[in-house]
Amino acid sequence: MNIRIWIYYFKHAVSNILSNQWIHLISIGTISISLLLFGAFTLFFVNVNTWMVEWGQSLSMSVYLDDGIQRDVKDEIESIIKGLPGAEITGYISKEKAEADLIAALGAQAGLLDGITSNPLPASFEITFKDRKEHQVDAKRIKVFLDQLEGVDEVQYSEQWLERFEDLIYLLKLGGLIVGGLFSVAVLFIITNTIKLTIYSRRDEIEIFKLVGATDWFVKMPFLIEGAIQGILSGFIALLILFLAYSLFSLKTVHIFGLPVMDIVFLPYGYILLIFIFSLLLGLTGSFIAVGRFFRLLG
Amino acid sequence: MIQIFHVAKKFGTKAALEDINLKFQKGEFVFITGPSGAGKTTLLRLIFGAERPTEGQILINGINLNRINRSRLDPLRRKIGFIFQDFKLLPRKTVSQNVALALEVAGERPSIIRKKTRQVLRAVGLAKKEQAYPLQLSGGEQQRVAIARAIINDPLILLADEPTGNLDPDITREILLLFRTINLKGTTVVIATHSKELLKNTDQRIILLKGGKIVS
Ligand SMILES: Nc1ncnc2c1ncn2[C@@H]1O[C@H](COP(=O)(O)OP(=O)(O)O)[C@@H](O)[C@H]1O
Ligand SMILES: [Mg+2]
Repeated sequence: MNIRIWIYYFKHAVSNILSNQWIHLISIGTISISLLLFGAFTLFFVNVNTWMVEWGQSLSMSVYLDDGIQRDVKDEIESIIKGLPGAEITGYISKEKAEADLIAALGAQAGLLDGITSNPLPASFEITFKDRKEHQVDAKRIKVFLDQLEGVDEVQYSEQWLERFEDLIYLLKLGGLIVGGLFSVAVLFIITNTIKLTIYSRRDEIEIFKLVGATDWFVKMPFLIEGAIQGILSGFIALLILFLAYSLFSLKTVHIFGLPVMDIVFLPYGYILLIFIFSLLLGLTGSFIAVGRFFRLLG
Repeated sequence: MIQIFHVAKKFGTKAALEDINLKFQKGEFVFITGPSGAGKTTLLRLIFGAERPTEGQILINGINLNRINRSRLDPLRRKIGFIFQDFKLLPRKTVSQNVALALEVAGERPSIIRKKTRQVLRAVGLAKKEQAYPLQLSGGEQQRVAIARAIINDPLILLADEPTGNLDPDITREILLLFRTINLKGTTVVIATHSKELLKNTDQRIILLKGGKIVS
């Protein structure tokens, strides 16, 4: 590889950009906005994923027992639960305790329970599972297993709403991918046309280059580099804005469903690199298309 | 050495050249002449590889232009200087930038480019106009810029299309002298011209074209 020629290519690419400043400014601006949206979307998912993983780490489960359950059946259930890998019984809540808890929770509205004579609340075992990954705890299977035990009325676990949430996230991801795809096409279109314009403004020079024996690559390379610079610059601007926005936003504690949520994290390095590579590829592809079309016309 | 065998060139149905057979030796100095529309420009463009013949073969130093692909044509072109009728200079580049182009595309070192550009501009008598722009120059000066660009690579072959087109007689003589000097260094020179004036009292080989055919 000949460094001199590469310096030459870069010089020409930069001079192309500078001599068509406005077009490049508009182009880079538009691409940056697209990439910013893309980055924001990714940031959102990275965080949601992080939260879900953390919530999913510890699983808590309530096993509600039938009314009037025999003592030995209850003991049997307790020993089965203790035998589950990673499971730990954090408490047994008797019918009386459940009622007392409810009254305490209702506070001033405890009068609501006045008309009820018999206690409708079931007794329950409260279980937490630790080190879920290690024990390969599958909440759904455990629920099904416990549900069919004699003396068990119902099993509920903290993850049930999370699973519904996961479906929603999946839909959002799909939507994001489609929108992202459309944006990529739009970005490609912008880059291709910007490069086509600069090629057009240099057509006399290109003709003469070819006449004095320049290879196709020699003529094409500055335009490819021009596209690459557009892509990388846009990627950089988008990530910079995203980071600034993130810095502002993460100063506040975020609440979801009224619960304070853990820290927001920025994109991990891998993702940053990926966005860079992606924007570089967009730039290169766009200029490849432009250059290819132009040279087909040259024949 | 240039060898042309049974070459014909048609544009659509119209034949610009028919059954051309020619051989130019290394270091030869040849005029191609004939009335306007005779096919002189077309013949030069074929030798330059800018156009492909409809029939026949053209060999440059044994390389068949029909057979080589684009990527080998480019380096070959650096060995052929072409002086276009309309000069094809870039108006927004200076004289020395225009001339240097031919070396830049070959990836030559900047110090060498500077040195050779200065040398060749001196040789064509434009040392003082290095920093001028083409449109600030007279026709004869522009012609010499075009010549400088064509010879900076030390080409084996120099093709010139109507190089004295609209130049007055004194300048025409100067330009011809320049071609002779280049020729003396071993470059094959082929000049297309419709001017009879230019061919007066010359003892060089003259090829007369008419209606796309060689007459003599
Ligand atoms: N690109 C072209 N397309 C169509 N016809 C052409 C083209 N180039 C040349 N011709 C025709 O070929 C003939 C020879 O042209 P040219 O080689 O330019 O002649 P000269 O240079 O001797 O004046 C002319 O009749 C011209 O009209
Ligand atoms: Mg002509």
